[in-house]
Amino acid sequence: MWAMIVKEFRQLRRDRRTLAMMIVMPVILLVVLGYAASFDVKTVTVAVSGPQASVVAGLLRSPSFDITQIAPGQGRTWAQDRLRDGNDQMAVVTGGTKPLVLIDGSQLFAARAALTYLAALEHRFSGAPGAAGGGTGSGLPVTPKVVILYNPGLTTSDIMIPGLCGVVLVFVGTIITSLGVVRERQSGTLEQLAVMPLRPRDVFLGKIVPYFAVATVDLAIVLAVGVAIFGVPFRGSPAAFALGALMFLFVTLGIGVLISSVSQNQGQAIQLAFMTLLPQVLLSGLIFPLSSIAAGVRWIAYLLPLTYFNEISRGIMLRAEPIASLWQPFVFLAVLGAVVVTGATLRFRAYLAPAGRERGRKAAPVTQGAAA
Amino acid sequence: MTGAESGQVTWGATELFVSHGRTVALRGVSLSAPAGQVTAVVGGDGAGKTTLLRCMAGSLAPGSGTVRRPPKERSGYFPASSGIYEDLTVAENLDFRANGYGLPRQVGRDRAAEYLERAGLSAASGRLAGQLSGGMRQKLAVIAAMLHHPDLLVLDEPTTGVDPVSRSGLWWLIARAAAEGCAVVLATTYLDEAERCTAVLVLDEGTELVSGSPEQIVAAMPGVLRAVPFKPEGEAAARAWRRAGRWRRWDPLSGQDTDQAPVGRGGVITPDLQDAVTVAALARQVGQDSDPGPAVLAGQHQGGAA
Amino acid sequence: MTSLAGCAEVTKQFGDFTAVRDVSLLVQPGEIVGLLGANGAGKTTLIRMLLGLIGTSRGRVELFGEPPSRQTRSRLGYVPQGLGLYDDMTPAENMQFSAAIFGTGAVGALPEALGRYAADLVGSLPLGVQRRVAFAQALAHRPDLLILDEPTSGVDPLGRARLWETIAEAADGGAGVLVTTHYMEEAQECGRLVIMADGRVVAEGTSAQIVGSGHVVRVDAESWSKAFGALERAGLQVALAGRGLRVPGADPGAVRAALGDLPATVRQVPATLEERFFELTAQSEAA
Repeated sequence: MWAMIVKEFRQLRRDRRTLAMMIVMPVILLVVLGYAASFDVKTVTVAVSGPQASVVAGLLRSPSFDITQIAPGQGRTWAQDRLRDGNDQMAVVTGGTKPLVLIDGSQLFAARAALTYLAALEHRFSGAPGAAGGGTGSGLPVTPKVVILYNPGLTTSDIMIPGLCGVVLVFVGTIITSLGVVRERQSGTLEQLAVMPLRPRDVFLGKIVPYFAVATVDLAIVLAVGVAIFGVPFRGSPAAFALGALMFLFVTLGIGVLISSVSQNQGQAIQLAFMTLLPQVLLSGLIFPLSSIAAGVRWIAYLLPLTYFNEISRGIMLRAEPIASLWQPFVFLAVLGAVVVTGATLRFRAYLAPAGRERGRKAAPVTQGAAA
Repeated sequence: MTGAESGQVTWGATELFVSHGRTVALRGVSLSAPAGQVTAVVGGDGAGKTTLLRCMAGSLAPGSGTVRRPPKERSGYFPASSGIYEDLTVAENLDFRANGYGLPRQVGRDRAAEYLERAGLSAASGRLAGQLSGGMRQKLAVIAAMLHHPDLLVLDEPTTGVDPVSRSGLWWLIARAAAEGCAVVLATTYLDEAERCTAVLVLDEGTELVSGSPEQIVAAMPGVLRAVPFKPEGEAAARAWRRAGRWRRWDPLSGQDTDQAPVGRGGVITPDLQDAVTVAALARQVGQDSDPGPAVLAGQHQGGAA
Repeated sequence: MTSLAGCAEVTKQFGDFTAVRDVSLLVQPGEIVGLLGANGAGKTTLIRMLLGLIGTSRGRVELFGEPPSRQTRSRLGYVPQGLGLYDDMTPAENMQFSAAIFGTGAVGALPEALGRYAADLVGSLPLGVQRRVAFAQALAHRPDLLILDEPTSGVDPLGRARLWETIAEAADGGAGVLVTTHYMEEAQECGRLVIMADGRVVAEGTSAQIVGSGHVVRVDAESWSKAFGALERAGLQVALAGRGLRVPGADPGAVRAALGDLPATVRQVPATLEERFFELTAQSEAA
């Protein structure tokens, strides 16, 4: 197996472009995706209802809020419908003891922006109600009540970054390893490997280890970038995180090798790799919470290594979860790893294991006598 | 020797120099390809055969030297990576070629049918080219190159790696093209094929090793050749090689009369083309420092009928 | 004496297609066996079974007296048609890789003549040099059985002679060699020949034994292309051999008549291996 690893490293070293891609691409991807994920919302659209609608509209008047409707005759139901139908991102219902602010949590970034801007205007509500215009004497009660609809947890970019680290590694790891075996097949060296006294397992591990080393470096870089640029906290145990990350990498690279071993050419391998990438990005809980994914396809999420890596990385980095409470994702990653290794080894056995043993172990040895 | 045919045009190249980056692929190589005859360019991989043929086909411009070739539509080229569409059928590939060269539909069909028949490909005409065996694909590519009856047919190793049965089919096509008056230039590594060509140019590392008719090349071989049962010892080992389970040993005679070792005595044999070419290569290798002698001589001085 | 490689009545079917039928073949130590056959005759399938790359449908394959296994592979040297070298590694690195896998410890030395290429990438070397590297790699672990698939394709005559020298040296050292070739001249280097057609062994023995006492008519004309045309028109089956034409299975008188007044000598000569090969292949197709 050592010979395979040395060989792969040598080839990897020669293939400067791939190596550069493995190191640089993750950082670029993370920065781009990270910024994309935390872009600013400049203006939040607001509908105001209830008897004091115009007063509140006056209070909210600022570049940050775009007041689309002032409807003194309407109530909470109307406001909620405005949000549900996607007409506005925020709605204020007056007429109760406190003004009620409704925010559409499913519009993640707008919702976060709305909260921020609201906080900035808080003095208008609390400070001098009379001075704020209107001055009808009805007097606005201090501090509105805020209710976030549809996504009360308000996933933040803190939550995006740990997951994005995983996405980046999935991209790089799967695509690059998916070419490894195909290249050998196309250049005819796979047949030579097949007649050498190698075990299928040697070939599989030999293919993985070098990329594993590079991907580990990648992971460290990506993590450092995440913490440095995006200020993601790292609260939990680095050792537990490392264990989860390595298991995740192993599965990811293993999938790449498995793809490679079932592909006839590099084009096929890349296509297959993308087929595994898209569901990982969309269904792993990174963008949509698992609970919001329709049950019909949710089972797919549970087959994806990124799903478990997301749980582990969020748990450890943000909530400092101990490994004991994360045992489930760890176990599932281990199971996936076992499945991938078995699959790849079986595929390799089809090429590499000596055949012809299966039948006819009877009669005299052929190597004597049959000379007639 | 074939006076009636040699009255026609002779294509060819004079003093070609070609370099790819820092490596020189051809150094002062000349070739002449008379109409109605087959001219062989012989050499191992890297000898410069493909470069010379690409110059003849017009797909590569030489650094210096001149190429005499018919206009593009009057020449046919079979590149080493045969230009056949794998996802078209045999018939579709030939249709495409015939159209491309502006052949009337029926003429193209008739010729294709005849060539396919003689090359043993008729049964495969509906098959996808990608599904053909190596030899069949080579035959298809040669047919495609000669379908429009070019004046010059340039074939780059059509028979390498092809089994003997397909090889004989290919040679039928080549003989047919020459019989129709086409000048055929053919690269090969097989000397039994070179032997049936009117003229042979042997290349080695981008330069001419020997050239002339097969008879001229054999006659110009310097020294004597012996067949011996075992590999010679000592210094002579470098001048010996294995052939058909026995050994050939070449002794250069420094300017002496070669008649002192007549054929039949002391194992001395009459060389064939393969022996003569091997000797030329040896002479260059062994005597890099000494005078390579007449091994590099073109043989033209012998002229006439061999 | 135990053979190095052997198969007894081996058959291989791919679906409905029978690639190899009832083939028995032995390779003894020190012997060079040439495996000849047209494309599709079953040579490659047979070799792949001997290597243990694919199983048999019926019959048995044995290497060194046992079924193919990881142990038998370490005694095997194989040079495929595509050479199986890593283009993006140097010859030395290729040799190290193979040495490490075969566990020979000491890395096989590159032949002296290849020394100057040791640091270049294999992909940048001329094919002839690559071939010699592949040979050196296959021979480095001193295999007892050497399997070579068209080992000299694309090599110049001197290079070809030198490769055969290497093969013969390995055989003299006691290794058994099984080699395929399309080149009949080269078949003469083999001690024994096995000719396959349509999945079967159709002839076996020395070149002389296989050729037997067959005769053909040889025509040496001033212009072979004219003679070729004349004989073709007469419906005779003509093959080119060197500059001469050879007409198998024809009567010299009929050939003379077909040539008309073309200047040519017509004589009966012993058949060559290639002609016998065509005959065997054609018979097998007809059957």
